[in-house]
This record gives sequence, structure tokens and C-alpha cells, in this order.
Amino acid sequence: MKNIFTIGLPSKGRLKENAISILKKKNFKLSSRGGERDYFAELDNFPNAKVIYLHAREIIERLGDGTLDLGISGLDLLKESSKNLQQRIVVRKKLDFGKANLVVAVPNDWIDVQTVADLEEISFYFRDKKNLRLRVATKYPNLTNSFFTSKGVTYYKIISSLGATETYPFTGSSEIITDIVSTGATLKANNLRILKDGSILQSYACILTSKKSISNLKKRKMINMFL
Amino acid sequence: MKSKNYSEEILKVFKKKGFVFLEPDVLLDSNYIIQRSGESFRKLILAFEDDNGKNMCLRPDLTIATCVKYLEKNSKGTSKIYYIGQAYRRSNNSNKSIINNQLGLEIIGSKKKLSDDSEIINTMLNAIKKTKIKKININIGDVSLFKQLIESLNIPERWKLRLIRHFWRPDYFEDLLNRLETNSDIDPVSFSYDKKKFYEMKKFEQKQQIAGRTISEILSRFDKKIRDPRSFTEGKKTTKIIREFLKINCPIDQIDECLKKFLKKYNINKSGIKNELPIKNISNSGYKIIFSTNFGRNIEYYTGMVFEISTIKKKQKKELARGGRYDNLLKNLGSKKNISAVGAAINLNNLSEVL
Repeated sequence: MKNIFTIGLPSKGRLKENAISILKKKNFKLSSRGGERDYFAELDNFPNAKVIYLHAREIIERLGDGTLDLGISGLDLLKESSKNLQQRIVVRKKLDFGKANLVVAVPNDWIDVQTVADLEEISFYFRDKKNLRLRVATKYPNLTNSFFTSKGVTYYKIISSLGATETYPFTGSSEIITDIVSTGATLKANNLRILKDGSILQSYACILTSKKSISNLKKRKMINMFL
Repeated sequence: MKSKNYSEEILKVFKKKGFVFLEPDVLLDSNYIIQRSGESFRKLILAFEDDNGKNMCLRPDLTIATCVKYLEKNSKGTSKIYYIGQAYRRSNNSNKSIINNQLGLEIIGSKKKLSDDSEIINTMLNAIKKTKIKKININIGDVSLFKQLIESLNIPERWKLRLIRHFWRPDYFEDLLNRLETNSDIDPVSFSYDKKKFYEMKKFEQKQQIAGRTISEILSRFDKKIRDPRSFTEGKKTTKIIREFLKINCPIDQIDECLKKFLKKYNINKSGIKNELPIKNISNSGYKIIFSTNFGRNIEYYTGMVFEISTIKKKQKKELARGGRYDNLLKNLGSKKNISAVGAAINLNNLSEVL
């Protein structure tokens, strides 16, 4: 793969559509031999380039190990990944889609909780009165941990979630959650509300490159065509 | 002096004072430790999952490991313990070693606070004396003084608890003080909405739970919160008192005088604040001992006296020993009774660097 320029694009949904249209705007033409289900595509004018459709999280991993030279993925996924990985990836351009915020949300009926400081108090109440830790369900344990620690909340427990995190407080799996939201409609529909100062990260899609590829002159030229 | 030699000399001092050897476990149940110390502690410990799926960690701290052992053995009465061993803890500072060699003492379950405190300090000083290091500095503090000060101030209960809880985290504490000064605590817009909801929820079944909290729990906290004075004009004054308090710094034999002056200046009830330091017993040790209200804010479990013995090497401070009183730790580790405790440890890594 040394001489082939590899591009990772999200394999699903709106992120995929938007990523493809970004490429089109830059006059790259994509063609897949196997049609819709083909995970590979080629760029018509660049026989040395190859497009691979991957899970957005996977794109980060593959940029990190150098199998991808360039990728489009979410800032949230990059920031959540391990330090080691982040050191090998460079954010090259902020894109105008995939906007979403990682936030702390609590049940609507917890009317006494407006800020993270309230949560901190409640977490101590849980420890002192119930001998329990406040449980936080999330798909983003790393970002959540560093946010809570910086805000003085230390007595809690992370519950890893893979999806439908909004249900956790009402099924007894956790008390509160952190999750990525774009409009907030899903939270609202599930009786949750965002804390006043509960914004952990403002995320968006971005063009990322592997640090390794930047040191290669040919690849660097190629990268610049996408920016 | 070779490290083995001075270790032996120090141990002789410990034994002579009646301390008995105890070997704390190297591996601890990490869930148990984190449950009690908080999630932020997870970053500091070296943990792994064993074949049975149990989460274990290397002991991050010998005081905690000793207390766990004390509880396991179901010990009763006073135990005077010494230990020698390694503690394993990560640090944000990459220059700091993960492995800390320590030689320590604990007095657990005794009720003679003052004499125990001075016994720990004096035994440590005698031990350090054996190393023949000159230029010894001693710092002492009493973290309970801060608690007493806060209790005597005229601020909402929530704020008192908050300040006390975060005293040991200076950065976040500063945040809190700034917030207390400006009182940006309650958002008026969502507040009026929530108040409507408050009356609605009062009609609900009060025992019903919402994400682990009963409605009555939520409502009573809400009620308490709005009863706190909302426009908090006292905030600025209180913050000033706290900041000034944390600047108190004097030789140990002048503590009472310094505190008195401070209390008088800010018109605080004198009976509210008393130090519990064994001043007489340690001030004739021959060393210069500096008292500071700001000292001892880096380990959460201390509750009273805290001290540190250090020296200067190449213009840098090297901590040789540190310790303090930790009356709540055993309860936090699961003891049903209150068990008081005080202890200290010699940092052998630093000692060998200095010698």
C-alpha cells in the first residue's frame, strides 16, 4: 500500500453522503465496480488512490496505524480515542456538517439539578446516604471522565453503553448519561434534559490525516488537493 | 550510609517505640478502592483483571493497604504498626517514579489523639536523625481548622459542604471561591419553570423513584436550594475571609496568637476555632517547625494534624517523611465503627537520593 493513497470515508448515513459530496466539490469522481454494497471505490482521475468505506470509529484507528492516509470522521471520535492514537493523527480541516455536542443529561424530573455542581453534590449524597456511586452511562468514557474530574465530580461510576443510552436512567442501568446530540430532540423525547454547563465537547466532521503520510512528499501533495 | 544500614537503624527506632511489624497485601480489590476513593483515583492505580474477572490493583498507598489489613484481621483496641514496602502509583509528573519505597508507622484505634500525634511526629524525627541529615525543615498544618472556620461562617449549608469537600483539591477550590464571590449558582429562567414543576410534583406519590432518587428526595433538595439566600451579598466578604485564612503562616509556638489575631480582625466567634496540635510536645524537639493553614491539602483522607519533614538538596526541596491524622479512612473503607488513626511514612526513594 506504500504507493497507493488511501482515503477512509464513513460507510453509513448522512455522514457518508456529506463526505462524498465534499469529494465531488473538489472534483473527485468516485466509482465503485460492485455498486452500492462495494466497500471500495476508485477516484477516476487518480489511479493511485483508493477509497475505503469504514465505520467512523474505524477510520480513526486506521489513520493511527497508517493504513489510511486521509479520512473524514467526527472530532468526538478522535478526542475519545487513546492519547497514543491522537498523537499520530492531525486535524486538517473543519467541515460544515456532522455538528453535534457531547453533553451531560439528567432526568427531566430532577428539578433540583441544573448544573454540574449540583451533580457533584448528588454524587456525594449517593455515597454518604446510599453507599452507592452515581452511575453515568456513556459511549464516551474518556471524555466524560476528564470532564467530570475537571468539574470536581469524582464519586461516580462509568457504565459503558453502545447505543440507546437515553434509556439507561429509566431502566435502572444508570442515573444519568452523557451523549452526543445534534438537535436534542431524542433527549427531550426520552425525558432528559441537558445541564446548563454540561457541554463536554462541540463536535463536527473533519478531514484528518495520518502524521506518517505528511512526511511523504507525494502524499502531502495529494492531501493538499482535498483541503 | 548504605540504604540497608539506615533502613535498619530506622526500624530499630520504630521497634523500640513499641511498633509491631505488619505486612499489608500487595494486591487489593480495585473496585473496593475506587468505590471509596472516587473514579478519579482510577487513573492513578495500576489495575488489571484476573482470570476470574476480578479487578485487582497494586497497592497505591501503604496506609490504605495497612487499614484494609487491619480491618481484615478484625483487630480490636489500639494497634501500633510499622511496615516497610513499596507502593505503586502513577503520577501526572513523568519524572516521578511509579514505585515508591516506604517505611511507615500507623497508630490505629487509639483515643489519645494529642499524645499519638506527637508520638508519630517525634518517632519520625528520631528516625530521620539516624540518617545524620542536617538542614531539616518541618511543616505542620491542621486541616480540621479549615472545617471549623467554614462551619462558623454565615453561608448556605450547601456551600459549606462544598468548600469542605474540595479543600484538598486546590485548583477546583479556587474555582469554587470565584463562584462564591459572584454567586452564579441559580439560573433564573429555568428556575421559574422548575418551580412550576415543583408544585406539580408535590402531588405525585413521593416514594416513587426517578433514576435512583425518590421524588421526596428531589423536592426537598430543591426546596432547600431555593431557601438559600439567592442574592448573596456576603459572598465577597466570605471569600476574603477564606483567602486570608489560608495565608496564615507562622512558627508553631505562635499559632494561638496568629489565630486569635485573625479571628478578631474578621469578627469570628473565638470558640469556633481551636487547633488540636500537640504544640508543647513537639515544639521542644529542637527543630524549627512552621505552621501553615494551607498545608496538607494534597491527600484527601487527612482530617486533622498533617506534617512533612523535608530537606534541601541542590536548592530543591526533598520530602523525607510525611503523615497525618486520618480519622475517617477506616470508616470509608467499610468499618462500622469510627476508628481514629494517625500515621506517617518515610520516602526511601528521596532519602537515598539525599544521602
